[in-house]
Amino acid sequence: MSEHRRQILQMLSEGKISADEAERLISAFEEPAAAKSSPADSASAGKRPPKYLRVQVDSEGDGGQEGPTKVNVRVPMQLLRAGVRLAGLLPAQALHRANHAMQEQGIPIDLTQIKPENLEELVDQLNDLTVDVDQKDAGTKVRVRVFCE
Amino acid sequence: MIPFVAVVSLRNQESRTFRLWIPLFLVWLLLLPLGILLSPFIFIACLACRVNPLRGFAVIWQILNALTDTELDVEHRSAGMSFHIL
Repeated sequence: MSEHRRQILQMLSEGKISADEAERLISAFEEPAAAKSSPADSASAGKRPPKYLRVQVDSEGDGGQEGPTKVNVRVPMQLLRAGVRLAGLLPAQALHRANHAMQEQGIPIDLTQIKPENLEELVDQLNDLTVDVDQKDAGTKVRVRVFCE
Repeated sequence: MIPFVAVVSLRNQESRTFRLWIPLFLVWLLLLPLGILLSPFIFIACLACRVNPLRGFAVIWQILNALTDTELDVEHRSAGMSFHIL
């Protein structure tokens, strides 16, 4: 691009083109480069990686006796990554015991399958994730939101 | 960086808020000599459990560094609590 600009300025100095023509030529050469870079910039700006995992719980009390309860948790993504790495340090025997204990409680999660690369794939998709759970039970309304920001 | 300060806010029924600043750096300074004293035993325990002790210390250091900006807010009609690690 600078070579084109140099040639245009040289032609202007030699009087072969006028100042307006030089400006139009420079603009014409710079516009395609700007058009190529802007979509990438806008795409990268719109797809910022999430920094925090947010969990919000809103629970309305029963008839106002207990009153509403709100819980707001914000956890940095780096903490989740470090936690996954910590789980990766645990011996396989301990993980199997933990899996067995969780399955007895009805939690079908396999800790041996949680790996740092799996978490990175999940984090990449969490940017657009919002989980809303609305539950009405015995006059109590509970709303849970899980999202990334 | 590891967090140096934590802020705890407590709100009671009269809507009075008590804010407490906890200097975490003092906690780290108090835990540092204890950690140095226990490090040989932790090292042996890691080797016995077939865990790389250096990698374990590195992961624990990463967890401490990642604690910054962690927030926990609980609001109820009669009381509220907020815990923020700066």
